Amino acid sequence: MTVTIEFDSSWQDEFIHRIENDGPWGSWELFKLAVGVEKHLVIPEFEGLQAPKHLPNLTPLPHQLETAKQVIENMNGKAILADEVGLGKTIEAGLILKEYMIRGLVKKVLILVPASLVTQWSFELNSKFFIPAVSQRKSYVWEQCDVVVSSIDTAKREPHREIINKQDYDLIIIDEAHKLKNNKTKNYEFVQNLKKKFCLLLTATPIQNRIEEIFNLVSLLKPGHLGSETAFFDKYKRDARSLNDNEHLKELVNKVMIRNRRADTGIEWTKRHVETITIEFTPQEKELYEAITDLKSEGDWVQASSFSVMTLQREACSSRESVFYTLKNMLQKKENPTKAFEDQIQYLITKVEAVQTNSKAEKALELIKKIDDKVIIFTEYRATQMYLQWYLKQHGISSVPFRGGFKRGKKDWMRELFQNRAQVLIATEAGGEGINLQFCNHIINFDLPWNPMRLEQRIGRIHRLGQEKDVMIYNFAIKNTVEDHILKLLYEKIELFEKVIGDLDDILTKLDFGNIEDHLIDIFGQSCSEGEMRIKMENLTSMIDLAKDMQKEDSHAAAGNS
Amino acid sequence: MQQLEIHNFLIRYFQANECEITENGPGYLTVQLTIEMDKELMNRPFYWHYLEKTGGIPNPMKLTFITNPQMVPEHIKGETIHFGSPRLHQIFESTKKLSSYIRLYENHNNVNLQTPLMPWLCMNVKVSYQCDRKRDIYKSIGLQLINGQMVEDFHDRLQEVHLTPKIPDYSFTLSPLVKPKSGMARIENYLRAMIEQDDHSWADEARKRWEQDLRLLEHFYEDVEEENENYETEKKALQEQYEPKINISFINGGLFYLTDKAV
Repeated sequence: MTVTIEFDSSWQDEFIHRIENDGPWGSWELFKLAVGVEKHLVIPEFEGLQAPKHLPNLTPLPHQLETAKQVIENMNGKAILADEVGLGKTIEAGLILKEYMIRGLVKKVLILVPASLVTQWSFELNSKFFIPAVSQRKSYVWEQCDVVVSSIDTAKREPHREIINKQDYDLIIIDEAHKLKNNKTKNYEFVQNLKKKFCLLLTATPIQNRIEEIFNLVSLLKPGHLGSETAFFDKYKRDARSLNDNEHLKELVNKVMIRNRRADTGIEWTKRHVETITIEFTPQEKELYEAITDLKSEGDWVQASSFSVMTLQREACSSRESVFYTLKNMLQKKENPTKAFEDQIQYLITKVEAVQTNSKAEKALELIKKIDDKVIIFTEYRATQMYLQWYLKQHGISSVPFRGGFKRGKKDWMRELFQNRAQVLIATEAGGEGINLQFCNHIINFDLPWNPMRLEQRIGRIHRLGQEKDVMIYNFAIKNTVEDHILKLLYEKIELFEKVIGDLDDILTKLDFGNIEDHLIDIFGQSCSEGEMRIKMENLTSMIDLAKDMQKEDSHAAAGNS
Repeated sequence: MQQLEIHNFLIRYFQANECEITENGPGYLTVQLTIEMDKELMNRPFYWHYLEKTGGIPNPMKLTFITNPQMVPEHIKGETIHFGSPRLHQIFESTKKLSSYIRLYENHNNVNLQTPLMPWLCMNVKVSYQCDRKRDIYKSIGLQLINGQMVEDFHDRLQEVHLTPKIPDYSFTLSPLVKPKSGMARIENYLRAMIEQDDHSWADEARKRWEQDLRLLEHFYEDVEEENENYETEKKALQEQYEPKINISFINGGLFYLTDKAV
């Protein structure tokens, strides 16, 4: 079979023109240099990676290089990258993109990421990969720039959508692609309509959930790989829980998906040391906490919101400032508050005012002095954050605040201040916001989030690639409070803190019994007695244990295969 | 390209473009751009436009390149250059652009003897084999425009010859019997014939992959009765992804007048 040969004739026309006009002619030295350059840029083999040669400041890890090679050589440039959190999916995507650009196979690129990550993606592509990626801000960018980073929400809206559909993209990268699991959404439809010559879908959560979601994601990447919709659901039950039920399907999915696991990377991970520090309330603090707890027996309150009571209880374990802030809000937001309501709040405010010290803050100060190194304090509440910053300053300790809502530039600035000037970083939101703080190895959990994934993300900020020391995690809990229960009955039981990031999301997705937070609110809010609460908590932990065992079996099975 | 190669390349590039190398130290070099090279590399048309309008004194830039961060003295500030840096690739492009076409004469030492110089057409090309993957080969072909002799690795052979842009004394050029235009066609045909004899299993395999994915795609849209726009888009995407193609692109080339002993 013959292959079409295209011969660039523009050179020849111009050459004839120059002969007729007797020049202008180039210099011999430059002529020789140009041939020399081209000999360096020629890529002699179909296989292998050129990108590393072009990236002297980046040392990709073996599994990242292997992934890039796999995607290009065996998956023909269409793949789902589903590594566990923290293994560097962005690096893998960058390597693949760079490789295609060097080989001249890709020029026009569209990168769709969550809005909060747009700047970071373009920054990383520019600084680590020397790829001139541009964050989409003006509509002309689509046409004028070759590599554009944007959020799906912007891209799918007019006038952008129409312009994008006219572009001829060579490669499309979508971060957080698991959000596209539902094929009825506008976002799904938008991505489906794009022409995907090469395509990378990045997802942090493994797509082992529902078979329907797997079908949707794979069909987006490679329609027909799992068959047509009717044929697929004739064969597999729509609500089948797990991919693992079917070896054949698993194999098919693995042809388009790469999932590196931490354990397989061969990278030595530093250890996690967890210390629970139980703290006693002062009498005034205790009075405040009990006054709030008593609200539950005040008829109206329970029905109205066990959630508010719970929130206030948790806040009372953090700082009086956070309680006060919430109370003030409740009062302001209530339309036509009854006298009784106002009195109730006022009563609580007097209790707040009676509190003069913060036992946890004192403990934190003591600990920070002892550690005598960089420390990150996480709290759920902004009022606590502000209080702590003031409190530490009173005692001569410099700190910087950090919030998920900060703009990218401010985040980077705060990170830098923390690295170079301050001893403590006080953060309210770990979020998957991609700030890396691996130069620090001490975390104080001043209070605990009720969503274990959030806790994982907190720890994941420092326990990631590049962390050289063991990570110290200090959990603060006030004795005999909801906090204490959560920590002792749930988190410690399921050995949450000893887990390596990534295991947990596997476990939680396996469970598929809804939001843990809702369960907790139910347990603490609706239980009539201490005993009932304990039993419910035990049920919850045993479910998590079950999922854990299931996962262990899986990984054994996987190990057996390889 | 090693860092030292890059360093030497930069020096040769700027010298060839008549820019003064003001400093050439360990791991770095500083170059004073000429007006032309400032326009070529610095991308500031507004400045030059403004200057020309107002008749100000032109002030082309001075650049410092760091070619080895480990060796460079601490006080030197500049742009770090490595094989992947956009600046180096800009200079690569510029090198090619400025030397696409050339005409040179052999600077022989024959004195008092009228020496005939034979016309040669030189074409340096890159042949790219492309499907969803790609590889290139570099080819340098020379064609003698009188007797039609075809020579491979022509550029390498020219390295042995002393060349000059002006016709030397005691020389005369022979008029080509083969016109440059048909000379180019001969080289093109030669390259095509050569490529056709190549092993093209890579293309067959790409077509197989294409075929496979196309079958899957058709199966996926089997249930859909009416014409589906997504189906057409995906089909086109598969073609762009896999269709094997061979591109011959030019690096540079030109006319060389050489003595009959030269090649």
